[in-house]
Amino acid sequence: MSKSNMADTFSTVVVRPDFNPEKYVNELTRKCIGGQELQQQRQKIQSLADETSVLLKKNVYQNYMQFIETAKEISHLESEMYELSRLLNEQNSLLSSLTTMSLLGDKIPSTVESEEAVDANQVDEEKEEEERRRKLAAVLEKVEGAMAILEVPGRVLLHEGTLMELDPMDNKPIHQIQAYLLNDVLMLATWIQNSRGPVRYKFQTTYELGSLAVVNVRDLGGLGDSLFKLLAFPDTRVFRCSSAKLKREWLDKCDHAKKSRLAQEQQKRDNTATADRSPSKLAKSESLDSPSNPFEDHNDGPAEPELPEWLVEMPEDLDVCIAQRHFEDAYNLIERARDFIDKNCSNHMSDPVIEEIRRKLDARVKSLIEVLMKELEVSPDKSLQGGLRAARRAVRLLNQLGRSTQACDLFLKLCTSILKVQLKRVKREGATVLYVRQLGGIFFSNLTDMAREFLRAFPNSPNCASAFVGWAGSELTHLTSHLIKQVFMPQSSISTLAECVTCVRDQCDQLCELGIDLRYQLDGQLRTPLIRALRDSREKLVDAVKLRGAEDKWHPLNLQNKAGLTKFIQEMSDIGIASIHTYVTGECWINLTSNTVAFCKLYLALVEDCLCLATAELLYTIDEVLGDVFHAQLKHVEASLKNDKLRSESKFIQKNAVFLLDTLLTIVEHCYEEKLGHKCTRLSSLQEEYAWIKKEGPKQLINSSKPITKYSSSEYL
Amino acid sequence: MAKKLNQQPALHKVIMVGSGGVGKSALTLQFMYDEFVEDYEPTKADSYRKKVVLDGEEVQIDILDTAGQEDYAAIRDNYFRSGEGFLCVFSITEDDSFQATQEFREQILRVKNDENIPFLLVGNKSDLDEKRKVTLAEANSRAQQWNVPYVETSAKTRENVDKVFYDLMREIRSRKMEDNKTNNGRGRDKSKRKKLKCVIL
Ligand SMILES: Nc1nc2c(ncn2[C@@H]2O[C@H](COP(=O)(O)OP(=O)(O)OP(=O)(O)O)[C@@H](O)[C@H]2O)c(=O)[nH]1
Ligand SMILES: [Mg+2]
Repeated sequence: MSKSNMADTFSTVVVRPDFNPEKYVNELTRKCIGGQELQQQRQKIQSLADETSVLLKKNVYQNYMQFIETAKEISHLESEMYELSRLLNEQNSLLSSLTTMSLLGDKIPSTVESEEAVDANQVDEEKEEEERRRKLAAVLEKVEGAMAILEVPGRVLLHEGTLMELDPMDNKPIHQIQAYLLNDVLMLATWIQNSRGPVRYKFQTTYELGSLAVVNVRDLGGLGDSLFKLLAFPDTRVFRCSSAKLKREWLDKCDHAKKSRLAQEQQKRDNTATADRSPSKLAKSESLDSPSNPFEDHNDGPAEPELPEWLVEMPEDLDVCIAQRHFEDAYNLIERARDFIDKNCSNHMSDPVIEEIRRKLDARVKSLIEVLMKELEVSPDKSLQGGLRAARRAVRLLNQLGRSTQACDLFLKLCTSILKVQLKRVKREGATVLYVRQLGGIFFSNLTDMAREFLRAFPNSPNCASAFVGWAGSELTHLTSHLIKQVFMPQSSISTLAECVTCVRDQCDQLCELGIDLRYQLDGQLRTPLIRALRDSREKLVDAVKLRGAEDKWHPLNLQNKAGLTKFIQEMSDIGIASIHTYVTGECWINLTSNTVAFCKLYLALVEDCLCLATAELLYTIDEVLGDVFHAQLKHVEASLKNDKLRSESKFIQKNAVFLLDTLLTIVEHCYEEKLGHKCTRLSSLQEEYAWIKKEGPKQLINSSKPITKYSSSEYL
Repeated sequence: MAKKLNQQPALHKVIMVGSGGVGKSALTLQFMYDEFVEDYEPTKADSYRKKVVLDGEEVQIDILDTAGQEDYAAIRDNYFRSGEGFLCVFSITEDDSFQATQEFREQILRVKNDENIPFLLVGNKSDLDEKRKVTLAEANSRAQQWNVPYVETSAKTRENVDKVFYDLMREIRSRKMEDNKTNNGRGRDKSKRKKLKCVIL
């Protein structure tokens, strides 16, 4: 067996499901002669293993990329589906409003328009009516004896289909039925068996939708998937559709037709109701005037005022209004009824009829409130598309009904879920700062909108306003805890944090315009993580200073050439060290060490970040950070000065020290005071503590002990 | 294979009535499939059929689960006409639903024109005793007034679920036997039963 052959087969052997490593190795050792050959085999296996692991990594990576791609695609699709369903809903409501319009046969009344337009309108109407008749006639032509159906004006066909009628006793098929759902009736026709020509049907019966009970057969001893029943006394009829889906369609269409009819009847009733809704006309006079009341004469007790019809019908009317979601009408009717009862019936407290009406009215008020509250409730299958604006109506009515507290509660819950959805859309991509800016932007702009909407919905209600403030606070807590998790990680630099925090603070401040100041709370919640982050970065920076100190050779910085020098001077002036040019020597030398220069840059950046973050609560920590980091650098300088090996460099070391104290530290102290309005005692005390470095010669240095113990003194500052 | 028609077991038609959300569907589904549905989805009108053994005899029960909220009284009439017995359900946690049973009872009596129609007053959600709004005494006194049994059930724990359906079927069955007797004798004589007055409110 040649070796190359073996390597080839090896990979195929290994992937076999029954591969047994022990057995394989045994065989290998048996075949190989001497250690060298074994070694070679081992290497081969090793290289194969390496290759495999590389391949595996690649595969994993590729899968990972694919996974990410797919996830993106899916979220894309999701939003598209969302959009689609919204569009479909819109279409649906548009279509249904169109059908109700044509059902009623009434068109939008044309106001003062030009003659031609009116003419055109009329022509349109006539055309439409003709079109409707034509369409229906075309359908009904196939049904013998159905022409009478055409006579009712405004009738339209909503649905048509073939059904199999079953015997209600034993569920055996009887015959095929052609069913037509019109806007007001269901018409059934039998099939005329005729082998020649197109199918024809024979009119059988119609059922009024207002009294026809359509029953979904869920289970008929195991079968029933595609069955439904019609109950129209004395008939009970069972039908089978060709599929469960078609059955669903029939049921939905019937239900829809029934609802539309109800709406139409309601509208008619409304119209007549408004017609005789004249407030001056009292119930009493109405009933006295009416000569057609046959019970009037028999009433020989104390003349009781007959109740007006609208009041008697009020409970049913309210039910219809509520079912049809005509909430305003319902509210108006409730107010009217309450008014009436209060005005006219206060002396009839014990009157059972009035009591009954009052009880019914209360029940309706309760159910209206419930429906309105449902309206505001958040549930997973409800779209939040309409946003808060969609809630206005329910909130207004609930306020009118004296349920502000509940409305406010639900409103805020709604806000919570809208906010959640909005924030979920923000994807974490790219720089942290961008993410935070986007997140904060969405959060606070939504909060602003919500505050506006809230103030509009619950004006001058201190209770609700305080609920809103409380709510906003808790939402803010969510946001900050999310930010803390996402942003305050050990690896995030203090400058990133500073940028993020200032960004969020600015956004938060914009809310103040509406009188909602969450800034104190925001700062409070960020305080602990910020202190932690500041302390962490102090540790890191002090360590870095020590590390670089250990490698410090105390050589002047060489910038290689003129261009490098110019660039360097520019760079340093940009960060505020304008006097850098006084340190230039020769063509391209700076009379400072690269360590000093690097520290200078780093420290200035740190100062800027710290000053950005500074709040009264963070001041102590910030002083600590600025002081300790600078102190670490000074300690390095001090140690170098005392180092015998560096005695020859002491002049140069001192020069660096002077730069650190007189230039860098002074600038920083200045910036600090400018930004915060007072001196930084910690930095001032460093300035004092190390003033000796600038004056003393190297000789005295060695013997002099440190003037003060700094730590204990500064701790209490 | 010839199958005789009269081999079909007897069919008892039960109607579930009561306000929306009281647990009509929950009771039905618990009885049919031994499961409790936590979500509330208002019913339109659903029918179920199942073979059961009633006192050793195989029978079929047909349950019509109606909508608590039906806008057309005429449609409600049609439901009620098709029933032989009624479970009139309310929720013990909701007084309104208890008050509503009065209206349902009146409508059923009007439609069936029979004061002794098999009928049980059912107080559902007995597992939610801590939220009880309707006392046992109140419910019992109404049942007594109507001369019907009152049973408390829980569709959640299955307490008394079988009982109400079986008790009602027994009533329906004994009613049918009674009717058959009179039928076989002098023919159906409805006038013997207590007829209802037409009451105009
Ligand atoms: N705890 C408890 N909840 C119940 C019980 N019965 C029903 N429910 C709950 O009450 C709600 C309404 O129950 P349904 O059975 O759908 O009510 P329904 O009477 O059929 O209502 P409609 O179909 O609208 O007339 C559901 O959320 C059920 O889970 C019960 O016995 N105990
Ligand atoms: Mg139901």
